[in-house]
Amino acid sequence: MKTSTSTSTLALAAAAIMMTGMASAADFPARPIQVVVPYSAGGSTDLSLRVFADVFEKKFEGKQFVVRNQPGGGGAIGTSAAVHGRPDGYTVGAAAQGPIAIKPHIGGTDYEVDNFAFVGLFARSLQVLVACKDAPFSDYDAFIEYAKSKKPQVGNSGAGGANQISAEAFAAAAGIKIESIPFEGSSKARTACIGGHIDAMVASPAEAKAASEAGQMVPLFVMEDKRIDLFPDTPTAVEKGVDFTWSSWKGLIAPKNTPADQLAWLREATKAVATDPAFVQKMTDMGEFVTYEDAETFEKRVRKDSDVSRKVLEELGMLGMNK
Amino acid sequence: MDTLSYLTPLFQFDVLWTIAMGTLGGLVIGALPGLTATMGVALLIPLTFSMTPVMGLNMLIGIYIGGIYGGCVSSILLRTPGTPASAATVLDGYPMAQKGQAGKALGMATIASTVGGLFAAVVLATLAPQLASVALEFGAPEYFALALFGLTIIASLSGDLLKGAISGLLGILIACVGADPISGVMRYTFGVNGFASGFAFTPALIGLFALSEVFTQLERLHLSETPISHVANRWPSMKEMKESASALLRGSIIGTFIGIVPGTGSGTASWISYNEARRSSKTPEKFGTGYAPGVAATESANNAVCASALIPLLALGVPGDVVTAVLMGGLMIQGLAPGPMLFQTNPDVVVGIFGGTFIATIFMFIFGMALIPLFSKILMVPRRMLTISIVIFCFIGSFSINLNPIDLYTMVGFGVLGWGMQKFGFSQAALCIALILGPMMESNLRRGLLQTGDDVIAFVSGPITLLFLGLTVLSLLWPLISRARSKSNA
Repeated sequence: MKTSTSTSTLALAAAAIMMTGMASAADFPARPIQVVVPYSAGGSTDLSLRVFADVFEKKFEGKQFVVRNQPGGGGAIGTSAAVHGRPDGYTVGAAAQGPIAIKPHIGGTDYEVDNFAFVGLFARSLQVLVACKDAPFSDYDAFIEYAKSKKPQVGNSGAGGANQISAEAFAAAAGIKIESIPFEGSSKARTACIGGHIDAMVASPAEAKAASEAGQMVPLFVMEDKRIDLFPDTPTAVEKGVDFTWSSWKGLIAPKNTPADQLAWLREATKAVATDPAFVQKMTDMGEFVTYEDAETFEKRVRKDSDVSRKVLEELGMLGMNK
Repeated sequence: MDTLSYLTPLFQFDVLWTIAMGTLGGLVIGALPGLTATMGVALLIPLTFSMTPVMGLNMLIGIYIGGIYGGCVSSILLRTPGTPASAATVLDGYPMAQKGQAGKALGMATIASTVGGLFAAVVLATLAPQLASVALEFGAPEYFALALFGLTIIASLSGDLLKGAISGLLGILIACVGADPISGVMRYTFGVNGFASGFAFTPALIGLFALSEVFTQLERLHLSETPISHVANRWPSMKEMKESASALLRGSIIGTFIGIVPGTGSGTASWISYNEARRSSKTPEKFGTGYAPGVAATESANNAVCASALIPLLALGVPGDVVTAVLMGGLMIQGLAPGPMLFQTNPDVVVGIFGGTFIATIFMFIFGMALIPLFSKILMVPRRMLTISIVIFCFIGSFSINLNPIDLYTMVGFGVLGWGMQKFGFSQAALCIALILGPMMESNLRRGLLQTGDDVIAFVSGPITLLFLGLTVLSLLWPLISRARSKSNA
């Protein structure tokens, strides 16, 4: 008796979905969904989305999720393509912090945070400030002490990029001064760090872990509000009394006017992939911190990062620099 | 011998098959203009998810090695560098093909790539950790001095020094378009958003060398078509091998060295190698006219980079160039953190990669040599049809990299520029080298001065910096020195 009730309820519910969704939503996605990655193939955002696509296609049999790379302008070109794509649910964008939360303040973008529909966040890149080879400090307190008399040279992945913002935002919060040294990409900054050509840099926990075991870097503090498992002995800035957290993220966005039904489907699908054990495993192996945030939480995070970036860029005199 | 037992997994049929397919696939990708080794490796990474680390990584290395080699095919036959790494091969490879020696040029390129590749693989397998730590001494001033030294090639590339200098300066000016590397402020974009990261390099290269050649051909279309002589011989003669021996050795060493220095790549290596081969040659005037040692110099250097760029990656966890940066992603997906610890935690993977590099290079040699007759057939295609296909390839190649329409304008623009330069005797090669080295020189100069607080003396006082600055001066004065020498000999 009970079984039949639930079966009929299910059937009814299914029918209702069919009716309200009409052809478009019920069949969605009938064609391959295309995700625009605003960086060239092979980077961490690109690889994450390829893992995402792999798991997606296994989970939703017969449905396709195609990665399209559109690099340039520090991610602004691909992000613009995603936000100005046809709002039918078949075009989504890989959401990256730089082009979404930072770039619009510097200029040279034809979109801003308000132009997106948020789909979901599936991974965060945690950050650790590390001391480089031969740096005159090897823990948080020594670093702050050193920074009182001299500006430590902190390498970053590019002018106006996420690393520079996080280092400068920390410096502002901690009341110290740093000398930001921009490189073309984080791997070049890392080379300089391991070679002892800069004092410190912001690194991902995965690379900081391998490098610190090899004695190439020393972690100074973690940019989270709680200590992380990978570095149980490394403090956070928060516990040292500085109100500062920062991480960059990987998620999906869609054009603003994407219909509600399609958007709802995409949000559910993102949640399904992000919580899939195979996805979590593969991403964790790559050194990503997998976590799911729904559209609303994700949007809040983006807006907060955007505000912090605006303040830092204003301090640096970079606000609207390229408008 | 524990270490050698790590090699056994390589000699299983499926592993060898995977490496062979990777190498062959890379060769085809490299031969098609616009499809680069980087792209091939990046796109096939998902295929390796389900493979064992040694199998998956060696497939990617096969693509890399095959891809860098494959670039020579279209450089020689179509005057279109298949990858930026083989842009310098155009200089002598294409004139050789024009002289009816396409088979020989391809044969020389294949032999040179193999020699360079094997040389660097030996260095990789024997000296990786020691060499990698030397490479770490390179800071901003050292990179600046290396780039400056590389730029002196311009002086010897162009017969007319003034025109060469103008071409080089134009290249540097063009390389300034886009975001300033230190402050991030936009330069010379004229408000066009698509230029925010500068001109895309590969489309520029395709336009500069390939489309410009099409324009030049179009001007000559009314002239009777010269039938291409039969391309049969793929083995260089004993005499040519002897002539090329020193270029091969130099190229292998230069390529290996440049590959170890992170942040430089096969493009830089092949240009520097070409210049050194020419400068040390007894007959420098033959370079650029279809001279086999010119091909030997560039191709040995760019393939040496493949194996040696793995040195800093494996030993330090620092990728040596763009492709190895992508390979690093491949390693991490396998749950392996590249760096000194890898030698202790996963010696089987490290040794497996060493072995795979050798195997892929051997496969590259076999496939390359076997396919030369097939490649050379391209030249039998009637000129008009070939010209049309080159134009189609130019567009497809330029667009397929980023799927960015702006890149098509870039390609056409550089095509017109290259055509004009050729017409008035300006060196396209000088412009190309400036496009590669100019940005490297600028950003490292400014970064270095930022770090030393604008202290020029501190900037230039490092031993490696001084060495390269010394070589730069020597390189510039070389024509005077050699003239003086020949006079005193006479």
